[in-house]
Amino acid sequence: MDTPLREPTFLILTALAAQPMHGYGLIGEVAALSDNRVSLRPGTLYGALDRLVDAGLVEVDREEVVDGRLRRYYRLSPGGETTLSTETERLRRNVEAATTRLSKRTRAALPTTPRTAGGLA
Amino acid sequence: MNDLERRYLRLLRAYPADYRRARGAEIVGTYLDLAAPEQRWPAPADAADLVRGGLRQRLRAAGVTDLIPGVRLAALLALVTASALAGVWGTAELHPPPVEWWGAPHVGPFVSLGVVAWAAWLLAAVVIAVAPSRVARWAITLALLLTIALPLVAAALDVLRPPLMVLLPQVVLGLLGLALPDRPSRVIRLAPALSALLAVVATEFLVGLDAVGTYYGATLEVFLPTVGGLLLVVGALLAVGLALGRDTRGGWTLVTLLTPAGFLAVPGLADNFGPAYGAITFAELAVTAVVVALAGPAALLLAVVFRCRRTSTPQPSGQPCPTCGARA
Repeated sequence: MDTPLREPTFLILTALAAQPMHGYGLIGEVAALSDNRVSLRPGTLYGALDRLVDAGLVEVDREEVVDGRLRRYYRLSPGGETTLSTETERLRRNVEAATTRLSKRTRAALPTTPRTAGGLA
Repeated sequence: MNDLERRYLRLLRAYPADYRRARGAEIVGTYLDLAAPEQRWPAPADAADLVRGGLRQRLRAAGVTDLIPGVRLAALLALVTASALAGVWGTAELHPPPVEWWGAPHVGPFVSLGVVAWAAWLLAAVVIAVAPSRVARWAITLALLLTIALPLVAAALDVLRPPLMVLLPQVVLGLLGLALPDRPSRVIRLAPALSALLAVVATEFLVGLDAVGTYYGATLEVFLPTVGGLLLVVGALLAVGLALGRDTRGGWTLVTLLTPAGFLAVPGLADNFGPAYGAITFAELAVTAVVVALAGPAALLLAVVFRCRRTSTPQPSGQPCPTCGARA
């Protein structure tokens, strides 16, 4: 899977970086990571997980039955960890570049202190 | 099993049977985890999500994962074309020919009531440029509804309207345009508005040279089929360019564009199929439009079936392809 990753994919991989999670947990974690900006529905989430499993970025960790409901846990694969690290580094460099340019722009926009007519004399 | 679970399981039929067996319990379990305590019916958004997910899974199982991206690309080209046509027709509406040529009174300072629809399409092009796709789809829907309502309203008010062979391809282009991507880049979002602007400037220039007439004559039989041909040429070039980068969605874009291009070519096709003398009759146009309406989607379906048979993803033995029903 080539970078840059789409935001939902990036957030799913980020959520799985800490620990294996099931679908319901992933939906909540992705919402929390994005300040509720990205809200995944199960149909969309499992489609994304299928693609990530096919791409070798995510693996099935284990299955549990809780209250009669099947819960399948997913974990980040070594390939997924590499992809997430690469994408994070790319984003970090972009953020640094943007921050540097913005701070230069802010400094350039600051008004220079007017000199008193006639100087100090 | 409660009513809500039963209803989710019913919606799960959108997915292929194999997939339902493997993942159905997990997907429905997640929906039930997310449901409110007293909820008895799936939310409409959940139903749409399941149907969309099922369609994607069927396409994926059939090895045509690039169909939807290809259709989305076709939607962008359709919107660029629809906006350009709105620019041409909208500008032409501002320059009515003398009444004695036309044989009927104008609608105020405009040629016909069509100016309302063209204004809506130009507005949609601006909305696509500045607003999210969700809002842009509403603007396209408004333009579509106004275009569809035009013949009835014009008949009720007894005023002129553009011919159906101008309105029909616009509706088809707009319907395809509703499939525009959710997050297109800024350059892509600007494309329909820019094409409309260029069309307005070019038409105004040609009107000044007295080279643009009204909706009839060469406009229908030459201009519209030429636009349809150009649309296919652009689609083919795009398909070849993307294929060079091992991106196969361009092929689906080209096949999808056959339908709107066919509708644009209806006046030219009817002229060729009919007798060599006399004007094109309404019956010839109607029959040609019906043939195009059947042949375009059929070509897309055939391409899906062909791809499904050639897919390298093996289906479990004895199981038909979940999308087209073909057996390996």
